[in-house]
Amino acid sequence: MTEAVTFDYLASEPYYLAVGDEVEVFEAAYAARLPVLLKGPTGCGKTRFIEHMAWRLYRSDRGSARCRLEVPLVTLSCHEDLTATDLVGRFLLQGDETVWSDGPLTRAVRTGALCYLDEVVEARKDTTVLIHSLTDHRRLLPIEKTGELLPAHEDFLLVMSYNPGYQSVLKDLKPSTRQRFVSLTFDYPDPEREGAIIRHETGVEPAMAERLAVIGEKVRNLREHGFEEGVSTRLLVYTGDLICRGIEARRAAEIAIINAVSDDATVQQAISDIVDTVLP
Amino acid sequence: MISLGDVEDHLALFAEGISGRYYHIKPVAEFAGRRLALNPEQAALTVDTLYLPEQLDAPEQSAYRVLALQQLGHREFGSFRFELASARARIPMLAAMPLPELGMRVSDFDLFYAHFEHPGLISRLFHQAERLRVDTLLRRAYPGITRHMRRYHAYLLEQASLELADDLNSLLQLVDWLLLGADAALLETLDLTARLAPAQQILADLEQSPGDVYQSVEAACLLYALCDPLLDARQGLPPLPLDEELSGPASWMQREARLDDWRQDLEAMNSIVLDVEMLLGEEAAAADAEGLSDGELRPDDVHLNAIRRDRDTLARRVDMERSAIADALGRTRNGARSFRYDEWDYLQQRYLPRWCRLYEERLTPDYEQDLGALQAVIRRHRAEVQKPFEQIKPLGYQRVFGVADGDELDFNAVIQARQDSRAGQTPDDRVYSRRERVHRDVCAAFLVDLSASTDDAIDPPPPAQWDADDEEIANLRDPFALDADEIPVDEAPRRRIIDVQRESMLVMSAALEQLGDSYGIYGFSGYGRDCVEFFVAKEPDEPFNRDTLAAIAGMTPKRSTRMGPAIRHAVRKLIASGNALKVLLILSDGFPQDSDYGPERGEHEYGVQDTARALKEAHEKGVETFCVTVDRSGHDYLRRMCADARYLVIDEIEDLPQALSKVYQALTS
Repeated sequence: MTEAVTFDYLASEPYYLAVGDEVEVFEAAYAARLPVLLKGPTGCGKTRFIEHMAWRLYRSDRGSARCRLEVPLVTLSCHEDLTATDLVGRFLLQGDETVWSDGPLTRAVRTGALCYLDEVVEARKDTTVLIHSLTDHRRLLPIEKTGELLPAHEDFLLVMSYNPGYQSVLKDLKPSTRQRFVSLTFDYPDPEREGAIIRHETGVEPAMAERLAVIGEKVRNLREHGFEEGVSTRLLVYTGDLICRGIEARRAAEIAIINAVSDDATVQQAISDIVDTVLP
Repeated sequence: MISLGDVEDHLALFAEGISGRYYHIKPVAEFAGRRLALNPEQAALTVDTLYLPEQLDAPEQSAYRVLALQQLGHREFGSFRFELASARARIPMLAAMPLPELGMRVSDFDLFYAHFEHPGLISRLFHQAERLRVDTLLRRAYPGITRHMRRYHAYLLEQASLELADDLNSLLQLVDWLLLGADAALLETLDLTARLAPAQQILADLEQSPGDVYQSVEAACLLYALCDPLLDARQGLPPLPLDEELSGPASWMQREARLDDWRQDLEAMNSIVLDVEMLLGEEAAAADAEGLSDGELRPDDVHLNAIRRDRDTLARRVDMERSAIADALGRTRNGARSFRYDEWDYLQQRYLPRWCRLYEERLTPDYEQDLGALQAVIRRHRAEVQKPFEQIKPLGYQRVFGVADGDELDFNAVIQARQDSRAGQTPDDRVYSRRERVHRDVCAAFLVDLSASTDDAIDPPPPAQWDADDEEIANLRDPFALDADEIPVDEAPRRRIIDVQRESMLVMSAALEQLGDSYGIYGFSGYGRDCVEFFVAKEPDEPFNRDTLAAIAGMTPKRSTRMGPAIRHAVRKLIASGNALKVLLILSDGFPQDSDYGPERGEHEYGVQDTARALKEAHEKGVETFCVTVDRSGHDYLRRMCADARYLVIDEIEDLPQALSKVYQALTS
C-alpha cells in the first residue's frame, strides 16, 4: 500500500488545549454518529484534536465496551495516489493463491473505530463513493472486489480533515460530499494559548514559549508570500524542543521555522529578521 | 553607507509581518505630498508607505530595521490615536489652559501645541518624549531589537560632537543625546542650564511607565515648564529647528486616524436618517390626518431636517479632510504591492539598478457589464479555439503495469513471478497495476497591454470627403428638414482593440480550463518609471468564475506601455509557480513607450531594447515567451525585440482568439 496509515492504541491521554467548544460539539456529533469534517490550516492541531477525542471516547471510561477495542483510531494521510483499493483492501498473493486483505477503512468499519482521513481532498475521486455510502443513513461499506456490503459497526465514525486555504480549486470538496458532514473549523490559537501549548509540549521556559507564539503570529502575517499556511504550531513546538535540548534559540528557529516555511531567500531573510527582533 | 535598495525587499516583508499590513517601502525622495516636506535623513510613516533615507550612515543593515520598527511602533502603540479632548481630561495642567480655537481642520496635535506660547518648543519636547515612550515599548515587545537599537544609537553618538549647553537649543540637543543612550553623568557636566537633571527625571518616570500617548503629552508639558524660563531669558526667539515638526507627518497621520472616526460617525448618522425617514414614512398617513397646511412642518420633520443638515455638514467635512490628507501625504495605493526592477539602458550598455517601481494590484471588477454577453463570446469562439488544443494530451489517468502497489493484480507480472518461483529464481514482487495521473506541468501568463491606444477603433471610418458638389448639409435643428426615415440614429458602439483583447482572454480562459493548465491573466500600463502598473485579473491558483469574468471585463485602456518591468514581473510570478513549463504570452497593440522610456519622448529604440533585454532574461530563466501584436507595422520592431521570431503580427484583429490558441498549442505541446 502507498498510503501512510497509523493505528493508534492510545495508551495515554493526548494533550489538547480546547480553543472553543469543539470538544463538546464533537462528543455530541459522535453520540448522534454524525460524520465530522475538520477544516483548518496545516499544523493547527486537527490531528491532535482527533487523537484526544478518540482517547476521551474510547479510553476515558474503563468500564465501557468501547474501551476494549485495541485500535480506536485509524488515521490515513491521503495523497493523490490514494485509491479506493488502498482504503478498502486488496487481494494479496500468498503461495499459489490470492488472499483478501482488509484495508484500514474496512478494519475501522468492522471493529467500530474512528477512521480519520487526513487531507481527504488529496485522495482520488473514487474514494468519495465509499465516503458517501458510509456517511448517510445506510452506513455501509461496499467492497466491490469481494461483493460484500459491509454494515458499519455501531461505534464507527468517519472523520475527515480538509484544508481550504491550501488545496487548489481543482481539488476542492464537492458540495455533495461536504454536506454529509458537520464541520468544525480550526485556526491557529491566539498567542496566549499557543504559548501555553508550546510550554506544555516542550517544557520550555514560559517567557520563551510566549516569544515563540509571538513569532508564530507575526510570521503568519506573511502567509501570502509563497507559504499560504504560515508557520504551524507544530513547527513552534519543534523549535521549543530544540531549545530545550540546548540549541541556541535563534539557531533553533532557523532550523525549525525559517528553513521550513520557505525556500525564497527574501522571505527567509524577512522571517529571520522577525525572529531576531522578537527573541530576547 | 548602507543603501535602502539592499534591504528594501525583505524590509517590506518584515514590516508586513510585524504590523500585519502591507507598507510600500520608499526612499524619502519619492515622497509626493504637496503640503509637506520630509527630512531626507529621517524616516516617516504615511497611510500606506514607510519612507526611509535612501542612504544610511550606519554600522550595519539592521539600522534600517530599527528605523522601520520605530515608525511602525507609533502606529502599534497608539501615537496617532491622540485626541485633545482626552488629553485635557487627563492632564490638569493642560485643562487649565484656554482651548485654542483653530477650527476643525487642524490636527489635534497642532491644537495641543497651540495651547502654549511657543508651539515649536512643545512640539519638539513632545516628539522627544514620544520617541522615548515608543522605543521603550518596542524594547519590551520586541526585545531582540534592543541590541540593534543600542549599536545604531552608539554609532550616531560617535558621530556627534558633544558641546556645552548654555541655552535652550543646546539643552534640547543634550536631551537628544540622552535619548540615544549617552552617559547621563557626562551630559550633566556639559549642562550649564541646570535643567538636564530634572528633565532626565521626567523622562526616567516616562520610561518607567510608558503607558499611552498621554503619558508623553504630560511629560512634554512638564519639560515645557522646565524650559520656559530659558525662553524668557533670551532675547527674541532662538533659531529653534522646531517648526518643521508642526504639521509634520505625525499630525497628518493623526488627522487620518481622526478621519476614520468621522467616517464611522457619518455612517451612524446615515443610518439614523434612514431609520427616521422610514418611521416618518410609516406615519405619513397620520400626518395627512393631522390636516397640516401646505408647507407646514411637523415637529418630527423639523428634527429630521436638523439631523440631515448635521449629516451633510459632516459629509462635507469628511470629503474636504480626505482630499487635504491626500494632498499632504500623496496618493495612496492601499490595495497595491510595490516592486522595484532594473532597466536596461542600451545607450550606456548597463542596467540602471532598481530604476522602475511597479505597483501590482487587482483589476477592479466590472459587474455592470453584461456578463451573459461575455459568456456568449466564449460560446461563439469555443469550437475554433479548442481545435488546436485537441492535439494536446489532456489531464487524465493512465494505467501503469508491474508496480509494487496498485489497485489491480497485473496478471502478466503474476504469471512471470510464478514462473520465476517455480524455476527457483527470486520472483519480482512488482505484480500490481495502478492508474496514475498524467500531469501537464504548465503555467502560462497572459500579459495584456492596457495602454491608451487600445481604446482605438479597430476599423475607424474613412475621413469625410469634403467636396463643393456635396449635397446641401441638412440643418438638423429644423424639424421639417428631414424625413423621419432620414433622421440619423446612433451607430452601433464601435469595436475597439481592448474589446478584442478582452474577448481573447475570455475565450482562452475557457479553453485552458478545459485543458486543465494553470494560467494567470494580467494587464499592464502606467506612467513614468515610478509608476508602472501591473493589474491582476486572475492568478494561476484562482478559479475561473464570475469574478474572473468581471475582472477581465474591467480591463480598460489606461496610460503608457512600459513593457520591460511588466515582463520582468510576470516572469517573477511564473518562476514562483514552480511549474516545469513556463510560458509568457504578451498581447500588445504597438511598440513599448512611456513618458521617460528613453532620453527623448518620441524615441522608441530605448523601450524596444529594454523589452528585448527583459525577454532575453526571461528566456535565460527558462520562460518561453511570445509576443502577439495587432499592430500591422509591428514586424519592424518585433524583429529586433523578440528572439527567434517569437512573435506574430495579426492582420485581422478579429482572428486574435484563434491565433492565440494556435500559439499556445505550439508553445506547450
